[in-house]
Parts: sequence; structure tokens; C-alpha cells
Amino acid sequence: MMRPDRGTGLALRYVAAVAVTLLFLFPVYWLFMISFKTPEEIFASPPVWWPKSLQLANYAVLFKDGDVVTIWNSVVIASVSTAAAMIIGTMCAYSIARFRTGGNFFTDWLLSNRMVPPIVIVFPVFLLYVKVGLVDSYLGLILLYTAFNLPYVVWMMRGYIQDIPLELEESALVDGCTRWQVFLRVVLPMARSGFFATAVFTFVFAWNEFIFALVLTRAEVTTFPVQVTHYFGGQSNFWAKIAAMSALGTIPIFIAVTLLQRYLVRGISLGAVKG
Amino acid sequence: MTAAARTPYTDRNFKYLLIVPAVATILLVGLFPVIYSLILSFQNVDMMFEDTSFQGAKHYRALIGDARFWESLGHTLLFLVIALPAELILGLAMAYLFLDRMPGRQVFVALLVLPVTISPVVAGATWRLLFDNRFGPINQILGWFSDEPVTILWTIDPSFVYAAILMAEIWQWTPFMFLLLLAALSNVDRSQIEAAELDGAGFWRRFRLVILPAIWPVMAIAILIRALDLFRLFDVVWALTRGGPGTMTETFSIYAYVLGFQQFETSYTAAMSFVVILILVVTITIVLRRMEIER
Amino acid sequence: MGRLSIEGVHKHYGKVHALKGVDLDIAEGEFCVFVGPSGCGKSTLLRCIAGLEEIDEGRVRIDGEAVEGLRPRDRNVAMVFQNYALYPYLSVFENIAFGLRARKVPDAEVRARVGRAAAMLGLETFLDRKPRELSGGQRQRVAIGRAVVRDARLFLFDEPLSNLDAQLRDGMRAEIKRLHQEIGKTTVYVTHDQIEAMTLADRIVLLRDGRIEQQGAPLDLFERPETRFVAGFLGSPQMNFIPCRAEGGALRFSCGRSLPLSRPAPEGRDLLFGVRPEHFSRPGEGDPRPRLDVEIDLVQPTGARTYAQFRLGGVEATAELPAHAVERPGARIALAADMARAHLFDAATGRAIRD
Repeated sequence: MMRPDRGTGLALRYVAAVAVTLLFLFPVYWLFMISFKTPEEIFASPPVWWPKSLQLANYAVLFKDGDVVTIWNSVVIASVSTAAAMIIGTMCAYSIARFRTGGNFFTDWLLSNRMVPPIVIVFPVFLLYVKVGLVDSYLGLILLYTAFNLPYVVWMMRGYIQDIPLELEESALVDGCTRWQVFLRVVLPMARSGFFATAVFTFVFAWNEFIFALVLTRAEVTTFPVQVTHYFGGQSNFWAKIAAMSALGTIPIFIAVTLLQRYLVRGISLGAVKG
Repeated sequence: MTAAARTPYTDRNFKYLLIVPAVATILLVGLFPVIYSLILSFQNVDMMFEDTSFQGAKHYRALIGDARFWESLGHTLLFLVIALPAELILGLAMAYLFLDRMPGRQVFVALLVLPVTISPVVAGATWRLLFDNRFGPINQILGWFSDEPVTILWTIDPSFVYAAILMAEIWQWTPFMFLLLLAALSNVDRSQIEAAELDGAGFWRRFRLVILPAIWPVMAIAILIRALDLFRLFDVVWALTRGGPGTMTETFSIYAYVLGFQQFETSYTAAMSFVVILILVVTITIVLRRMEIER
Repeated sequence: MGRLSIEGVHKHYGKVHALKGVDLDIAEGEFCVFVGPSGCGKSTLLRCIAGLEEIDEGRVRIDGEAVEGLRPRDRNVAMVFQNYALYPYLSVFENIAFGLRARKVPDAEVRARVGRAAAMLGLETFLDRKPRELSGGQRQRVAIGRAVVRDARLFLFDEPLSNLDAQLRDGMRAEIKRLHQEIGKTTVYVTHDQIEAMTLADRIVLLRDGRIEQQGAPLDLFERPETRFVAGFLGSPQMNFIPCRAEGGALRFSCGRSLPLSRPAPEGRDLLFGVRPEHFSRPGEGDPRPRLDVEIDLVQPTGARTYAQFRLGGVEATAELPAHAVERPGARIALAADMARAHLFDAATGRAIRD
């Protein structure tokens, strides 16, 4: 292939790379900047591109008004449902990976649950929850998120478990382990990095989820994405809160995903690409 | 002979024990509501009356004549057919840009991934701030290229709402395509490309005959995931326009939400859910068959 | 302790009939090697003994106790796997101790037993390392240590040396033999390598297509193969099989040459004359043995010995000769065959013809 001079080519690609990255990061930058701006800076025309000082008053308001409780709600719901989905899902994944339980049909059925649009599920669930009093409760959302994330967990963990050499399990069986011991003492330690990666992604899905939370929460267990939409009122004076709340809910996800860079592609491609 | 008397392989039920909790959870929260919803769709339940008598296909018939329903499906499809190819092509172009080694590549990739991880509602909110007609930076930037101040009402003006939603959507999910295609391209056997190069194949020939077949399995999964996501499009539209102005950007998810949770047309919404599931199942089956045959 | 008896064992994988009625008795302390080409069922049989596969029919007894319904852990056997099967997240010590921990052996005893096993295998200085910091040979030692440390009734080895390079393999082979002499535990060892089988075994069980083809002491199988298959499987280079017929007390080959028979053979049937390459030699002056005049068409020197190929009875045959016996192809030489150590097989059934 005819290439331009290597140095020039690299420089050109570099300029393009920086430009593309800045373009994609600008909205994130804008969101975070607004969260640090004073009201005067927010409502200035032309807009202020770089605030004078990084003041934290907007965050302080969230704490003062008690809005941060929605972050806490998200933490509780996302972590408990993630733990539940991981435990139940990994067990199921092990059964499918090693014993082909239920054959292809069972696996397909599990996965197909993931394809159903949430809006279709949430409506009957809502009616059900009204009857049993689970609307606006931790348990209600936790149960739903657990079920909703199960297919993902099963699918991902099945892949990670299939990567474990079967001999390790057989050796443990001959050495005197029960099936449960093999699962706990061989399979889980061998799959632990995949397990943690899957757990983080599951957590992110639950953390970011909106429709279920919108429908099934009222005042008690509102999660942070729902809280963000509560600030949309037409009056633009909630901008500071929108930005600060969004930033608060986004930072932990950024950190988690950055730490998990190595598993990212496998995690979001449903295992189609093994990193 | 204690051994022979014992049930052979006490572990035999182990594999079923393992799946019981998962199956129970999904049946409880997944299948049961769907069946419940199927029953409801043949009754006549709404906000006022809980009429559980059998109504036949009344709601399904009504649905056929419901223009707003078909329009909402049309809007959903419109978003899908524009956003999906745009994300695919942009993602592929970006993947090519970052394919060869360059200093700091990992950092670029790590930064570019961030939009994918944001809650779609937060993404919508962010773009709402960007699109603001007076204090948002987008109109400001456009103003630099124009003589007079630009005051486009991005989320209200019918000529711009689609552009606004699509921009937010494409911004958030192009990195998803980018990441997957970058991984797929990196795994293509270089010697194959070089062999094609030596045979004198130009860029397009190489792409079509060597690279595309190699990355297709990943690309197909990426397209499938994104298509399913776009089909259920809700969060971003909700945050930006709530389906407005009027019902102009109403996706079927939003229409179903409005029907079920603002107008409490319980049975009617249930019927609608079923038609949508049916459409989805049929489409997916056809698409998967096609892909299976191609493989 | 450690008597193993197998009666009429059948095993199916779907439509594949992997074991077709295997009967076998292994005495206490015996070193028994299952050998055969891939797909013969040797590994399957071993896994059925370990309990990793369920058998469809038959009996497996260890010390008289029927174990075919028992879980692997209840059979009290130890197994060494081809890929070592070490746990990468555990130290060498914990890898060796794994079976003891699973059986909840008290910590002090675990220490003592692991220490003894490590000493026996020369692993004392590696106990704190992780498997990935070890060489292939050391990993294999740890895998063996994990078997040795337990008070198992049987040792099972599933092709344990096939992942090692040739040099290490010779060393480990000797070590396994030494270990067996020290511990004296009943051992069942699976390999596809006939040299491993010959050197290690008290008894070789040669499997073919899910059945036992022949079993016995290594030299017994080597010198008195019951079938053409056994004769061909053991020995390298392979035994020559030359089509022939017996006529008037001599073997006649299709090329017109013949060799006088030292013992009677059935006439009028297609036979195979089986002679190992090393049982050809160049007759000296006044050697009374009948000669075969052949033209060498391929010479392969290996250092100590030279393999010379020639055509006989329409097939290519190999003779193993001293290093400089033949220098180049095209040479015409006389060969004598050691008829007392040659075999005759029925060409149709493959069975050896004995007097």
C-alpha cells in the first residue's frame, strides 16, 4: 500500500484522533462544568466556556435538600440486585456450561427474555405490584432488576466458565470435592475476574435503568435517573441540580468502567469478542 | 454392598438445583406478567372499571385502526434506520482511525468509551442543556458561522426535534460500535490483508473480501444489540422531548407509557404490548434465520 | 489394598459405542498400562474407573466393593491429568494439599503429609510458589504430588507426559517408575506412546476400538503378539508385513522370491509374513541361513543404526542394520531373516498362526 511519509501520516492521524475525542467528550465536559458554575455563569449569554472557579455550591444544595437520597436508593437497589443476579445467574450459567441443562432451547429462552422491550414487561408488573403492594419499595425494583439482568449474567458467566479447563474440575472431583465444593473452590476462583467484570456491568445496567424506576417508584425509593427527570420543569432554574445530580450519578460509573477497561469489549459485546 | 444400594450419582440433581432460582425469578417477574397481560388484553379493564369479562379481540381490532400506534411504530423505525447505519459507519471510520498503533491510543479509547456508560436519561439531560436556545453552546457555536444570533428551539421546533434526538443518540452509541469494531479489526489476520495487498486488491476489494467477512460475526452482534436497543427507544426521547411536539417524536415505548400510566387504558395497552412482542419475535426469527443461512 | 476388577463394562456416547464389553483384573500393587491408538477407549476406561464417566453396563470393583454407582470422591482414587490440572490461584503447597483440605484433614497432618510428598518429589523449595512460576516438569511433579499425598487405593494417570518435551519425558518416566517401586501402589496408566507402555508396565492392556486386543507382560506382547494389530502397534520402526502364501514348506512372495519355513503353515491361504526390522541382518560368509537378494531404495541413518528400505512381495519393507552396513540407495545386498522370531498372520482375520 502506498503510504504518505510515516511521520506526516501519524501526525495527521493524531490531529484527527484528538479532534474526534474532544468532540465526543465535549458534552460530558459541559455537563460537569455546569455543575461547578454559579447561577450567573449558567445563565449567561454568550455561555461561559470555563467557569471562574470550581465551586461546589450546586452539590451542597443536593445534600441540603436531601436529593442525594436518590443516589443512596440507587446504590441499595443496584448493589442488592447485582449481588442476587450474580449468585443466581452464575449457578445457572455453571449448570448450562457444564451439563447443557435444558439444551439449546433453555439457553435461547433465557436470552430471549433480554430482548423483550422493558415497556412491555413493566406494565403487567406494575399491575401485579399494585396488588401485592410492591410499588415504590426497594424489594420491588430489586426483584425486577435481578430478573432483568439474569439473562446477561447467565450468558456472560457461561462464556467465562467455558474458558476454564474441565480437567481442573475433574481433578477436584477425584480429589474428594462434592459438586458444590467444585463450584465454590474451583469454578468461582477460576472465573473471578470475569465474575467481577460481569458484576460491574450488571451494576451499571441497574444503576442507569430508567423505565422500570420511572413506573415503579413514587417518592420513597426514587432512583437518581428518575430524580434527574424530575428537575425538567420548563423553568431553567433547575439546571444546576440537573448537572450536579447527573455528575454525581455518572462519576462512579466512569471510575468503574475505566478500571475494567480490559473486560469492557467482552462485556458490552455479550462475549462476541473475547479480550 | 452399601455402595450399590445407594442411589447412583447423588449429584444427579445438582444441575437442576443450580437453575431453579434463576428459572423461578424469571418466571415470576418475566413470564407471569406476560401471561397476565395476555389475559388482560382480552378483557376490558381501565382506570374506571375492572370489567374482566371476555371481550374477544376487541382491543386488537381497535389497535389496527389506531393511527397513533402505527405512527409511533413508524417513528421508532425512523430513528432505527437513521441512527443504526450512522453509528455503524461513524464507528467503523473511528475504528480505522485508531487501528494502527499511536502513542496514547489506550487513553483515547478509554475516553471515547465514556458516553456509552452514561445513563441514557443523563445523556438526554446533558443534550437538553447543550441544545438550550439561549444559554446552550450549540446555538452559540452555530452563531459564529452566521451573521445574526441563532435561536433554534431544538427540542420544540418540528424541523429540528428529530435532528436533536438523533444527535444525542448517535453521540452516545457510536463509541459502542467503535469499540466493538476496533476489537474486531484488531483481530483480523494481518497476513491475509497483506496477501490481498500483494495480489493487487484495492482498499474496497480488500475490505469486502477479506476484512468484512472477518469482522462480520462481531459486527452482526453489534448491529443486533443496537437494533434491539433502538427498537425500545425511550429514555433519550423522554428526556429531550417527551415525544413532542404533539406526538411527533413519540416512539411506541412512549406511546405505551402514556396509554398505560397516564390514561390507564389497561387492557388496550396490554393488547398493544402483545402486538409489539409478536412483531419483534417474527422479525428476530427471520433475521436470525437469515444470519444462520449466511453462516 | 488396591485390587481392581472390571467386568463387562459398556459405555456409549450418544451413538458411539466407546467401550464394548471390557473385562480386566488388576492385582494389588500392579503397574498396568492402557495403550492403544486414539479413540480406542483407553481414556474412557480410565475415566470410568475414576467415576468421571458413568458406565452403561457392567461392574467396576475396587477391593471387591462395587463402585460404579459411587461419586468420584467416594471411590478414593487419585488421578494425574495430562494438562497437570493445577489451580493457578493456589500455591504449590495448597495445590498438593487440595485433596486433603477437601476431606477436612486436620492442619497439622496436612503439613506433615505435604512435606513428605514434597520431599519425595524434590519440591521442598517450591512450596510457596504459584504454578505459573514452575517449569513443565515441576508442574507435573506437583500434579503427581497431589496424588501421592492422599492415601488413595489406586493411582490413575491420564497421558501425564504427553505435554512434556522429549528429554523431560524420559526423566519423568524413570521417576514415575521409581515412585511406583517405592510406594508400591496399584497404578493404572494411560498412554498412546508404546515406549512408555513397554518401559513402565508390569502389564500392558492394548485396547482397540473399545475392546481389549491383548494383555500381558510387555515382552510377552512384543514377542508373542496374538494379532497383526498388536504386532504392528508395539515396536519402532513397525514390524514388516509382507503378503505371501505357503507352498511346499516355503513362503512364496508375489515378486517370485521365497523363504523356507521352519515350521508348518496352512497352505492355500493369503498370509502375512511378519518380521521386525531388527530381525533382518546381513549374513556373513558361510552363514547357513537362506538369503534374500534385495535392492535398497532408501537409506535412513539414525546414528547407531541405519534403516534400509527395499521392496519385497510388492510392499516396502524396512531392515535395521548396523550404522555403515549400507551407504547409498541402489546397493544390491543379501539379507537374512531370523525365522525363529518371525510371525505369520492370517491376512483375512489378522490373527497370528501358531503351531
